[in-house]
Amino acid sequence: MSEDVKIMEYEPLVRDRYIPEKFQFLGKRGISRMDGVEKAGGTAQYTRDVNLPGMLFCKVLASPYANALIKNVDTSKAEALPGVRAILRFDDPELQDKILLGENTKFNAGHIASDGQAFYHGKEELAVTQEQWIQGAGRVLDGFAWWEGAHSGVAIAAESLQIAEEAIRLVEIEWEERDVVLNPIEALKPGAPPAAPELNDGKNLLRKIRIEHGDAEKGFQDADKLIEFDIRRRPYTAADGEPMSNVILWRGDNLEIWAHQQQPYDGKCLLSAVTGIPLNKIKLHVPFQGCHFGHGGNPFMHHTHGFHVISAILSKRTGRPVKTLYNRRENFYGLSQDADSHTHFKVGFKDDGIITAVKIDNITAKMGQYGIDHFEDNTRIPNLLLNYVEAQTNFAPAWWMRCEQNHNSFCFSAVFAHVADALGMDPTQVALKNDGVGGKDMEYLSKFKKDHGFPDRDSLAEVIEKGKTAINWENKWHEAGKKMLPNGKLHGIGFTWDHEWDDNRGAASAGLIMHCDGTVDILAQKADDGVNPMTTNCEIVAEELGMKLKDVNWRFFEETGFQMMTPDGSCNLCTDAYVSCNMARKAKKTLLEYATTPVKLIEIEYPPAFPDHKPEDLDVKDSMVFVKADPENSVPVAEVVKRATLNQNGTQAPLFEWAYQRQGRYGCEEGRHRLCRQGYFAEVEVDPDTGEVDVKKIVSINDVGKALSPETCEGQQYGGAYMATGRVMGEEVIYDPKTGVRLNANLVDYKVATFRDIDKTENILVETGMGYGPYGLVGIGEDCATVIPFAVANAIQNAIGEWVDDHPATPNKVIQAIQKAKEKGVF
Amino acid sequence: MVRFKHFDASTIEEAVALLSKFEGRAKVIAGGTDIIGLYKDNILAKPYEALINIKNIPGLEEIKEEDGVLKVGALVRLEDIGHNSMIKEKYTALALAARYAASPHIREMGTLGGNVCQNSRCWYYRCPNNRFPCARKGGDECFADDGDNRYHSIFGDVKDCLAVNPSDTLPALIALGAKAVTSKRTLDVADMFPEKDPTRMTILDEDEIIIEFQIPEPVEGMKSSWKKFAIRKSIDFPIVNCACTVLINGDVVEDANICLNAVYYKPYVPTRAANYLKGKALDEESAETTGEAAVWGAKPLPMNEYKIHIAKGLVKQTLLACK
Repeated sequence: MSEDVKIMEYEPLVRDRYIPEKFQFLGKRGISRMDGVEKAGGTAQYTRDVNLPGMLFCKVLASPYANALIKNVDTSKAEALPGVRAILRFDDPELQDKILLGENTKFNAGHIASDGQAFYHGKEELAVTQEQWIQGAGRVLDGFAWWEGAHSGVAIAAESLQIAEEAIRLVEIEWEERDVVLNPIEALKPGAPPAAPELNDGKNLLRKIRIEHGDAEKGFQDADKLIEFDIRRRPYTAADGEPMSNVILWRGDNLEIWAHQQQPYDGKCLLSAVTGIPLNKIKLHVPFQGCHFGHGGNPFMHHTHGFHVISAILSKRTGRPVKTLYNRRENFYGLSQDADSHTHFKVGFKDDGIITAVKIDNITAKMGQYGIDHFEDNTRIPNLLLNYVEAQTNFAPAWWMRCEQNHNSFCFSAVFAHVADALGMDPTQVALKNDGVGGKDMEYLSKFKKDHGFPDRDSLAEVIEKGKTAINWENKWHEAGKKMLPNGKLHGIGFTWDHEWDDNRGAASAGLIMHCDGTVDILAQKADDGVNPMTTNCEIVAEELGMKLKDVNWRFFEETGFQMMTPDGSCNLCTDAYVSCNMARKAKKTLLEYATTPVKLIEIEYPPAFPDHKPEDLDVKDSMVFVKADPENSVPVAEVVKRATLNQNGTQAPLFEWAYQRQGRYGCEEGRHRLCRQGYFAEVEVDPDTGEVDVKKIVSINDVGKALSPETCEGQQYGGAYMATGRVMGEEVIYDPKTGVRLNANLVDYKVATFRDIDKTENILVETGMGYGPYGLVGIGEDCATVIPFAVANAIQNAIGEWVDDHPATPNKVIQAIQKAKEKGVF
Repeated sequence: MVRFKHFDASTIEEAVALLSKFEGRAKVIAGGTDIIGLYKDNILAKPYEALINIKNIPGLEEIKEEDGVLKVGALVRLEDIGHNSMIKEKYTALALAARYAASPHIREMGTLGGNVCQNSRCWYYRCPNNRFPCARKGGDECFADDGDNRYHSIFGDVKDCLAVNPSDTLPALIALGAKAVTSKRTLDVADMFPEKDPTRMTILDEDEIIIEFQIPEPVEGMKSSWKKFAIRKSIDFPIVNCACTVLINGDVVEDANICLNAVYYKPYVPTRAANYLKGKALDEESAETTGEAAVWGAKPLPMNEYKIHIAKGLVKQTLLACK
């Protein structure tokens, strides 16, 4: 594989390896979050809080069946209910050409949306849209349902939410129920019923992909040992903070939309494409969002985009604003990719831990991640083979859900853990021996770092060293199943690792304007997803421009013509931070020119603040422009601006700059190697009597390149540990096996971890400066929750001496593993 | 949310009169943490027409010890029970059960009476919009039977229903020998459950409300404990829970009471297991054997055999915690 590795070009990537000796804000602790008071105080406005005069409430029928066709709809009783104002049926003529995506779409796949999705004209980008379409996404309102909870039949707008709900219950629908298939392996058997007869010619096979690097068979022959094992990851989802909602209002032929949506500008573009309303007649508002975890943002889900179309039609017809909203159950249907993945592994390795070949056979429902990518991204393993199959089932569509690397990381962790166990070897050593990129080893990576101006640091070694110390690994790691504690419980400790990644597959742009009082506004819209983008980008601007932080603001809710990257905080920071940084630097240059250049206006010359100096004589700090050689000689920035622009649009143009930045697909163009690493250690106690698993400690070590906001990074580690614990211990979307109805679409029965489910977390940041963002940063938000599950799974195996290879590791499976271990005499 | 009428009762008599007037079409509401869910999710084919609010009735929120009896009003919040130092010391099983039920927010609103009388958590029963009109709702089918029955009964059905009783406090009350004083009678809490009727959680009449629970003061030396198994350490209903009382005299067990819950449609009292332990030293071996005896006769469903192991383990551990 190594001969195929491409070397990245220097352009168009801009890197800023220089880290100033002294930052005022960046990297500092104790910076208050600008949105903190609103959010903690309960005054932050979310989409559901938007109430407009005369607003109607819209509910959409959720199919009670997982596979069914509508034969007849009678809305007469609903129409007669006082307070019902409009009913939209699936067979309404206005809906007939309004499928979001598909063979007939007018959607321009060459469009580049700056808030997170850079779609090129390449075939593989179109494949992203197609893979969503053929699994059943991209709908608006159908006369059939391919999953329980699908938007079907009718949407009703009424004077109150209660009336709308009551009206939906009054609609009489004659359904033709069809056979349900829930398991991807069953779906692919000959004679299996079609899960979506109207789609893909009724075929359940969605995609089949084979990827090979090197020669896997030869790799197996070169190995000293071979192992094979199977793991299943059952379907799961994310419990986002605010269920889906929108509000749409027409003003003449202009449409206003308040959207709860992770990539709202994408939503606007799709709405434009589907309805024919030009982009300049759609006005987009993005209130605070709460967490989405990907669920609320994917551009092809009808629950984030299809229902914009519904609200738009109903609002137009009634002449009133319409709010369409989901309750928790309705919101709780989209799945994470790798929805029910059945993965078979074959791994060859040497006695010293060097892995020679990995083969992955992966069958997944709906949509997955292949499972092979991280072996490509951050190992020296030369021979990789993937056989990947996606099957249609009567689950809801799957999407990238914090994060799309879930199955890649899962497979990566599984292989390393099983190899270490088979060898009886310290898993941290197996990791270090196989670190690299594209089949090449660390010597190659070291040269790459030097050639491209990165610090030459061994990120994984640093991560592991810190983590081992934090968890006392040298004294605690033991052979699997061999440590019973005085309290009668089995002790287990586990490790896993991966590269540190971010989501920089898009573009961002923003403007910066300085008001005549010297305060600064960042002009860009962004969905408030991820943690703390508002304050962090203001810090960057303040730092680069020389302002006090309190003099910089960013209220990103409204359209300004610029869009910063969404959906994340840290994970888009590689792109967004360049924009903030670059425009602030330009603005500083302009400011200093204003400070030294007289303004000539007809017959009068207005002197600048520093008439006897050149721009290079000056600098800015704490919102003061000063002479470098004589810092006491200083003038407030406000004074400079006021003199120059005289209350805006006066003597000369306001101080305004802007910047644009584009980064690569999925944050790493080919040849743009992953340099930063992350590692996790987990410690558990397992009760051999009951199978109860206590997660005692999780240590997270993330090389974030440069932590611009350390508390934010630590918050991601902390929250990610909890999300991961939920995923490994209990999160599973459970369907009734006969009907496909979701049984646990609520926060009681869907087991998101609570604060009491981990005894202690320890969060460690490493800053090697080897990220591709400015200041050497890389993201963190997508990483922890994605990688940590297997650290806990490894710890459980270390405790019991048997693998739980069916995730989540619910009590029934832990007890089975314990029984197996007992039968083998492990403990 | 489905509509309902709401009445504030200011006395027990008023509450009873209102319940009587509605002839089974009304229910009491105290903390509301359970019953409001029926309306929000439109669970029942015919929702109760009215809710009778009893939160304002005085005298139902007291905790006191009188004449060798702990009296806990039906409206006492779970959080208050869990943190009451006297209950923690002398009626430990009850304090633990109340302390570890649900979550802090729910415990601040949920009452002891509500926790005892709460409705089934079976996810077929609770599926919104009456998606599964099951035996518990008067239908003729239990959808858990050939469905996902991982949380259901390990001791068989009651008239085709496999749902379990989800209360955390019931096993503690029963192990401690509690009585319920209602507006009509006084009865052992252990006798509050119907024999062959899955449509009801208790045998209380439609116009009957619980006033208080009375628990006899434990004899000198008697210890009690309670344990719960759930996937999460907060919020979750039990997969299995267990309460025990043990009186050790000299080196042997003189008396023991065991009660399991979330394993059957009503709390399960494995009397023979408790009797086995009497006269024996309480140690790992006897506790383990008692645990095995407690699940004798279990009939696992295809997905819930693991609950038998958990029940065995919890009995063992809860007994040893009383040592």
